[in-house]
Amino acid sequence: MISAVQDYEAVKTAVKTAASAHGEPQWFVDRRLAAIDAMQDLPLPEMKRYDFHRWPLMDNMTLTFRDSDKHLADHLPKADNQIRFVQVGQTTVAVNLPDELAAQGVILTDIFSAFREHSDLTKKYFMEKVTKYNENKLTAYQQAFLNSGIFLYVPKGVVIKQPIEAFLIQDSTVKQAMVSHVLIIAEEDSQLSFIQHLTTEGDVANAAHCMVEVMSGANSHVHFSSVDELGEQTYSFLHRRANLSRNARFDWAIGIVNDQNTLGDITSELIGEGSHSESKVIAVTTGKQSNGINNRVVNRGKHTTANISQRGVLLEKSELVFNGIGDIIHGASGANAEQENRVLMMSNQAHGDANPILLIDEDDVIAGHAASVGQVDQNQLYYLMSRGIDKKLAQRLVIRGFLGAVLDEIPLPEVRQEMIDMIERKLEDGQHFE
Amino acid sequence: MATLEVKDLHVEIKEEKDQTREILKGVNLTMNTGEIHAIMGPNGTGKSTLSQTIMGNSAYHVTKGDILLNGESILGMPVDERARKGLFLAMQYPAEIQGVTNAEFLRAAINSRRPEDDQISVMDFLKELDKNLSLLDMSEEMTERYLNEGFSGGEKKRNEILQLLMIKPTFALLDEIDSGLDIDALQVVSKGVNSMRGDNFGSLIITHYQRLLNYIVPDVVHVMMDGRIVKSGDADLAKKLESEGYAGLRDELGLDVDLVDDNR
Ligand SMILES: Nc1ncnc2c1ncn2[C@@H]1O[C@H](COP(=O)(O)OP(=O)(O)OP(=O)(O)O)[C@@H](O)[C@H]1O
Ligand SMILES: [Mg+2]
Repeated sequence: MISAVQDYEAVKTAVKTAASAHGEPQWFVDRRLAAIDAMQDLPLPEMKRYDFHRWPLMDNMTLTFRDSDKHLADHLPKADNQIRFVQVGQTTVAVNLPDELAAQGVILTDIFSAFREHSDLTKKYFMEKVTKYNENKLTAYQQAFLNSGIFLYVPKGVVIKQPIEAFLIQDSTVKQAMVSHVLIIAEEDSQLSFIQHLTTEGDVANAAHCMVEVMSGANSHVHFSSVDELGEQTYSFLHRRANLSRNARFDWAIGIVNDQNTLGDITSELIGEGSHSESKVIAVTTGKQSNGINNRVVNRGKHTTANISQRGVLLEKSELVFNGIGDIIHGASGANAEQENRVLMMSNQAHGDANPILLIDEDDVIAGHAASVGQVDQNQLYYLMSRGIDKKLAQRLVIRGFLGAVLDEIPLPEVRQEMIDMIERKLEDGQHFE
Repeated sequence: MATLEVKDLHVEIKEEKDQTREILKGVNLTMNTGEIHAIMGPNGTGKSTLSQTIMGNSAYHVTKGDILLNGESILGMPVDERARKGLFLAMQYPAEIQGVTNAEFLRAAINSRRPEDDQISVMDFLKELDKNLSLLDMSEEMTERYLNEGFSGGEKKRNEILQLLMIKPTFALLDEIDSGLDIDALQVVSKGVNSMRGDNFGSLIITHYQRLLNYIVPDVVHVMMDGRIVKSGDADLAKKLESEGYAGLRDELGLDVDLVDDNR
């Protein structure tokens, strides 16, 4: 995956020059260089029953900054009174944060401004607490070649009712990897919901590394959803992780409908006593694409609750592997972890897998799992068709029902509808070639 | 006037280990719009098989004979096409589908019969829906629920009739639409079916009980035994069956057929 012999010293020199020219503080330049050093010996992340070693995720070992065409964001729906952040490639197009929230200390800005202006926070949290840069080769790559991203800080006790929407548009009109980071710090007693949209403009083949780190403070309530629609020429690594403090509540609601291979890695670390997370993932694969998705929950604190629910639909010759990993650490008494992983095969040339992986090192816990790989229910299909509905629409309706168990639990109606729409689009694409 | 003809229909089903079994052994039946036919017969004689085969359920294999709608064979047509041609089957066991609301499903079914550029408007749809809901004494809430999911037996049956009224097919096959209904519901469902009666509608009603036929009075009654229609007559035939049972008819016709009761 990395060309046989990389001249790491030359890479470091180039990165140092580019980062300094970009006006980055010294501490971050140093971190980039440390990451390049670490990268060389680190393994790729572990992904059970799934092979992605040959994917072109790290072809691009250069750091360059360029302005993207802001008009690539013109298709976004207008919404003046929404809290939103729009970035095309590395160019921040819009930051809409109501004054009253700014006055309460909420920070919403691009990640590089945050390194300069909020170094106390970013230095402490960026790839230090939730995900460490030296966990594996891809996390090190992230820190070394980071070229875009967002920083969101919500102070103690601040409740943001309106969802915060982030549109991250990969600029693939040029050759340039997207290495993007969303760093969210939700302090004690705060509440927020964050909706991420990942899309691609242009059809140059590029990798996308999209990382999300969330620090959830005590009693905070954070809802993170993402609608992933990266393009056909984009191999992606989507790494998302949240650390939960005491009595924090954290929800993932993620729809993965990228058009190229995707490695998804979603983790909730339940560290504080009484914390609770829900991880909901939907994936639809078409064509010859392959998605491998790790959805991991780690119960560390006592009386923590962590549930996983994943549903996938496979069309054509695609592949989809769901690993549901439930890790209960010794001492996490009273922990509760339930998971359900289901995939639906719409084609007999597709390959689907749903693996519950439970690692339990504590007696006083409740843990359960359900997994299935199945075909569409012929009886349901027949019933719908017997009312005149054609086969393709009938299939989509049955699939909707299958995904419904996860869709229904997405609390924000607008996100739910957006997911339904994008799933419908993707299914229509996949059916088109059947 | 439209016509549905079943001619010398033989149907097999696959059982375990690639074994096949013949269920229908030469069924003949002709019905026109403007007529209501009833089919009665002992358990397991093939009544549901007949209705499913007419509708186009792929579990049932036609080995001989034909089914014609207005003179055209429909055997080569998939189920959705048959539905759009005007056939409707109220099923004995309707499927449940999560994630799809009843209302959304009804609209999709109606629109499947209309050209892409002339889909039913929301207003027209709701007007028609309200009318039929009140005819069937159903609450609007039922249409926002997922299709049949968690519906009681009786609610499912009512919902089948709601679909019938919304879709307005030419021929409706109603398979045990009365089973599991309380007396009030039976009247409501019958009212729904009767409201469809007219020159442009025909129905084949499968039932075990004469009682339904007091509410929906049939023009023709057929008795099916062992995969064949063994006798046809008017509404009085059903009454006679009710008092004499199938054994009496079998013996009268000199048929060599096992009835479930005989084994007891
Ligand atoms: N899909 C199927 N697979 C296997 N056997 C079937 C299937 N459908 C029907 N059969 C069998 O065919 C025979 C006729 O069944 P059918 O359901 O048509 O009877 P019926 O006359 O409707 O009976 P009832 O009055 O009990 O509803 C039965 O022996 C039944 O077990
Ligand atoms: Mg039956």
